Amino acid sequence: MVIVEIPIGPQHPALHEPIMLKVKTDGEEVVEVAVTTGYNHRGIEKLLEKNSWIRGMYIAGRVCGICNAVHTQTYVQGVEKLMGVEPTPRANYIRTMVMELERIHSHMLICAVMAEIVGFDTLFMLMMRDRERVMYLKELITGSRVHADIHVLGGVKRDVDEVRRARILDELRKIEERLKYYKKVYESDYTLIRRLSEVGRISKSDAIRLSVVGPTLRASGVKSDVRFDDPYAAYSEIPFNVEYRDEGDSWARMMVRLDEALESVNIVRYTVEKLPQGPAVPKTIPRAAKPGEVISRVEAPRGELLYHIVSTGGSNPYRVKIRTPSFLNILNTESTYLGHRLADVPVIFASYDPCISCTERVVVVDEKSGRKAYVSLKELARGG
Amino acid sequence: MGRTRLSILREAIANLTRRPSTIKYPVAREVTVAPGSRGRQYADLMKCIGCSLCAIDCPANAIVMEKLPEPLKHNPRGVFPVVDYGKCIFCYQCVFVCPVKAYITTEAFELADYSTFTSRESSLSTIASGGSK
Repeated sequence: MVIVEIPIGPQHPALHEPIMLKVKTDGEEVVEVAVTTGYNHRGIEKLLEKNSWIRGMYIAGRVCGICNAVHTQTYVQGVEKLMGVEPTPRANYIRTMVMELERIHSHMLICAVMAEIVGFDTLFMLMMRDRERVMYLKELITGSRVHADIHVLGGVKRDVDEVRRARILDELRKIEERLKYYKKVYESDYTLIRRLSEVGRISKSDAIRLSVVGPTLRASGVKSDVRFDDPYAAYSEIPFNVEYRDEGDSWARMMVRLDEALESVNIVRYTVEKLPQGPAVPKTIPRAAKPGEVISRVEAPRGELLYHIVSTGGSNPYRVKIRTPSFLNILNTESTYLGHRLADVPVIFASYDPCISCTERVVVVDEKSGRKAYVSLKELARGG
Repeated sequence: MGRTRLSILREAIANLTRRPSTIKYPVAREVTVAPGSRGRQYADLMKCIGCSLCAIDCPANAIVMEKLPEPLKHNPRGVFPVVDYGKCIFCYQCVFVCPVKAYITTEAFELADYSTFTSRESSLSTIASGGSK
């Protein structure tokens, strides 16, 4: 049989950023996958070095649109440590509230995208419609649907008043009801189970060996969560469960996300109900950091996010190194595609919740004759 | 299994009678933003002291300090901030950092217009109206 190389990527509108998967197949079976990155280099780390600590907050937030508050939190909590500033308890609760809302909408987004990839467009539309409720809450708290920009060094930019708190609790009830319904759909729908279960399985030992993080790791039976292991913001005061599953397949990864989204609803509800009294908005903001270095880590929706910030004093950082969770989850899992069918590649890829793009079209090259043919991702996903 | 299929079907049928979730923008301008949404902001020149902190902190370099057309007593430097909305990322660092809370915030988000290209006209009009007190 001829080995056919199918490049998936680097552009696809359904997912958000560019990456390329070079898939070699023997008939329908995948025999080799090579991941190529580097299509989306924006020089963010250099930009952070060239700008002040305060401007850096906004640059860090723009690393990723979906988990922007989480990126800002990681940067800000590191810089706060360097500057010797402590946010007030109320500010910490508001930060946690925003980050958990972000987790809910991020998980809803990937569950919707997964439904679309397996050809369940109705579920995609319904989930995206209900995700808008979460976006509204984020706008209500921070002033913007997507970019929260609520962090400042030593606190948050705006407080949450009583009217907003009542509105949040009211909307949360509806969101929770819808999430429970979607969980039921994912648990029992014939199409989803057939397409997702036993696909892209990672065993517990493999998950640890491959250093995958976040829901991908927890779906393989490892109970690891930075919020629990190394609490930051207000997580040390909030009771919550770390959701995990033992199956290790694509279906388990989606289920962990849905369980986590439901847990996040409880966390947001707790932060709104138990919001401590006191100031949240700092009166003055520090502008210079002491020399030193700090490692700051946070549980982003996709896993552990890590910033290494080095300061030599003054108004700018000397070096900021960012390690995002998707980087580990995508690059280290090339082996999990092997032996599966070509149609399963988008499913496995989406189950890692890549913060990177898939492809709109693929080119099929017959290595002997050099003949080329194009196939769309949807056809590919549906077994074309 | 069968029950879930039915429940999705029921949901899909129920949605047929509901109002569409999509908005025919800009034909129908029913877009509502949450109260306190971060929209177009401009400096109230009756409060602005020309300290330039907003221009220094702006991460998008969207704020440029320009000369005032007439001298104002409370503004010894004689400069005022002009926000270029094409560059602005609406992070509201300028609003937050302002020591005299001079920025007027709005929920306006429809900015694809020459009249709202920068905040110059809006800011200058606050002198004529005596500022917002």
